[in-house]
Amino acid sequence: MNAASGKVMNANGKKSFKLMIVDDSNIMRRRIERSNQFEELELVGTAGNGLEAIEMFKKMDPDVVTMDLTMPQMDGIECISKLVVMKPAVRILVISALADKATAVDAMEKGANGFLNKPFTDRQLNEAIADLMR
Amino acid sequence: MNVAGADRNRQLVTVGIGAMLTLVMSAVLILGFRLATQMRASVTGLQTASMLQTYPDAISQQLNSLRDRLEARAYAGQALADLKVTVKRFDHELEQLGAGGYLQSAELDQALLLWHQYTPVVEPVVNFTGQAYVDSDDAGSAFSKEGRAHYADVKRAQLFATENARRLQQQLATVATTLQQTSSDGAARLRTLLLSGVLAALVLAGAAAYFQFTRARHERAAKEAQDQTRDILKTVREGFFLLDADYNIGSVWSEALTRMFSRQDFAGLGFEDLLKGLVPPTTLSTAMKYIKLLWGERAHENLMKSINPLGQLEITMDNGHGGKETRYLQFDFHRVMGPKGIKHVLCAVGDITSSVLLAKELQESQESANAQLDMMLGMMHVDPLQLNSFLDSTETGLQLINAILKEPARADSEFRKKLNGLFRELHSIKGEASALNLMSIAHRVHSLEDMVSELKKKAELSGNDFLPMVLKLDDLMAHLRGVREMASRLTALKDTAPAAAAVTAAATVAPARAAKQAAAHEQRSQQGRSGDDLSPTLHSMAERLAHDHRKRFKLTINGFAEVPGSYIATVKDCVIQMLRNSAVHGIEASDIRKAHTKDDVGAVRVDFRRSGDGYELVFEDDGAGISPDALKAAAVRKQIITEQEAAGMDTRAAMALIFRPGFSTQEEVSMDAGRGVGMDVVARSVYALGGKIGVSTNPGKFTRFKIVLPAAEAPSSTAVA
Repeated sequence: MNAASGKVMNANGKKSFKLMIVDDSNIMRRRIERSNQFEELELVGTAGNGLEAIEMFKKMDPDVVTMDLTMPQMDGIECISKLVVMKPAVRILVISALADKATAVDAMEKGANGFLNKPFTDRQLNEAIADLMR
Repeated sequence: MNVAGADRNRQLVTVGIGAMLTLVMSAVLILGFRLATQMRASVTGLQTASMLQTYPDAISQQLNSLRDRLEARAYAGQALADLKVTVKRFDHELEQLGAGGYLQSAELDQALLLWHQYTPVVEPVVNFTGQAYVDSDDAGSAFSKEGRAHYADVKRAQLFATENARRLQQQLATVATTLQQTSSDGAARLRTLLLSGVLAALVLAGAAAYFQFTRARHERAAKEAQDQTRDILKTVREGFFLLDADYNIGSVWSEALTRMFSRQDFAGLGFEDLLKGLVPPTTLSTAMKYIKLLWGERAHENLMKSINPLGQLEITMDNGHGGKETRYLQFDFHRVMGPKGIKHVLCAVGDITSSVLLAKELQESQESANAQLDMMLGMMHVDPLQLNSFLDSTETGLQLINAILKEPARADSEFRKKLNGLFRELHSIKGEASALNLMSIAHRVHSLEDMVSELKKKAELSGNDFLPMVLKLDDLMAHLRGVREMASRLTALKDTAPAAAAVTAAATVAPARAAKQAAAHEQRSQQGRSGDDLSPTLHSMAERLAHDHRKRFKLTINGFAEVPGSYIATVKDCVIQMLRNSAVHGIEASDIRKAHTKDDVGAVRVDFRRSGDGYELVFEDDGAGISPDALKAAAVRKQIITEQEAAGMDTRAAMALIFRPGFSTQEEVSMDAGRGVGMDVVARSVYALGGKIGVSTNPGKFTRFKIVLPAAEAPSSTAVA
């Protein structure tokens, strides 16, 4: 499991990871996008539910995904298991308001690599992403 | 410390030294054996050499004797035979000595050389087989021709032997000396060898003793370490154990587990079996998923710690006295890494029951403090007279409840009757408390109502079932005393504030005195009391109901100044109940109202006016109205009427259902509806005053209650209680 396998070169010639944000809230998507302080993390797409996420994933092949759990049409847990089948090396950070530990354990079991509770601070988000890419 | 490695090294050294010493001992023994063999040969050789020393003389003498015999023409056969034997034996022994192999000395070679010089001289003598004499009658015995030659040989041999006997003998003596020297050297070597053998044996014994000693020391140290580990595991308050890759508990665990789980068989027990029966299946399944994740190395320790679902686990187990006991356990997991990844998972279990209970207590006391504060703030908005009147009537109500509880009862029907009585009293107290926004009281009464509802569901009732209610009632009474105390303080505060400006002397008023003042004040106002006092209470209740049920409506009250003192209590109870009904059932949510092209703020209107000899109270809301079919369906569901009865009912009869005891269309019980006590109480109290009540409705448009009351009598003390 090495995220480095998915590394590509961006326009500046730097190594980068492709990021996809999945959340049904537009505000939350923008919040995550703005908080991201990693130069090597390049946003390649956002999705508002699990089905959109899978379509976007096929198109953009991201390396890192932030995933909401409670979403219309297809929820995060189901989406995680599908993404992991498509690309085992993908790194998924669950960002959810569901604070109970059972949900976190379920998400991890399905293949998530990190878990962050909403609401979060910029610092918490960046630490969680750093842990994810380590 | 790597104990296993040190042990292995010690074993290797022991085996090495043992093997070396065994080799040395074997070499010593083999050499010793060889030396001993050589010595034996030397000794034999020495004996032979000593014996051979006599032979040269013997040969010389026997040749002399043979010569003498021949010279005397005597019989020489015997002498020759003796010589033959001696020569042959000497020759043989000497050859043997040389051929033995144990002597390869120059001395022996010399002796052999010398002896070989004998051979050409002695050989003709010993080989003589002819007749030495010729006998004749005249001359007697004379040498024969060959006899003469033989004699010459003998003489020559005798001369040679006499000349050389000494030399040969000396040479043989030298051989003997050499042999002696050889065996003496051999003996010395054997002695040295044996000595070194003894030394080697001693070293071996020493080494063995040393290893035995160090081994004993290590064993002692290991045992001590084991004892210490056992002591730690016995004493430590946390439960410790290791989980293997199959999620089974290892053979070492701390005693505290026994107390936590009331069992002993931890070694080899599966983690799932440990928790089975103690926690709900969903929690168990989450816990097992978590343990599996721990064994995977995908998530790092901090993340795993943050999603630990067993951080505060509530478990229920037998307390050993037939009852159940709830405990809170905290499980902490740490991965133990080995050279090939995760080796074990260390699990630390702490009993955090007391701290969890303490936190709960703290929270409860915090909540109760908040509730008290809320209550105080609420009380500050309530007119003190109203509050006192409420407290009085509530106390009377509670006394009544107490009396009902104490009433002797045996039969089930008697118990049921008791329950119904309790229910009505409680409900009316709750209504008043809610109206005054005294939620701490309302909630307590509500929970008492819950207990009554639970009892009603029970198939068989006994006196014991009522005991918890008595306790709860005591609690409520104590709370009421607290409220009264607070009320009197508030009154004192309110009284003293303006008083302080006017009368400087009475700056402070003791609570007891304040209470008396309040009581006096109330008595004074009793005569001139008017229904206008009700309006603020009803408005504040309307606000609360609107907030609690997320409805928007406006309450308009008219003519309450006309309400005679003796009707105030009844009017209040009735309006409160109807207001509740409107808020819960009547007024629709804003979006529904908009959808029906209604004003999104509902309207509730209460009018009180004189009418003929008596009075008329009209309560109207512009809500959803009442559907007779819904009423009938609810009544059937509540088993108040049968389906056949429902089918036979006209609209009018259906509407009358709402005045039946125990009727409610609300499925969920809340503070304001669902108990099925309400409109029947209203109807009863109206009938009690000799009045009438009617309802008219237009589904989707309005509901209107009309109460007609007869002319009031002069106010009496019972009417306001």
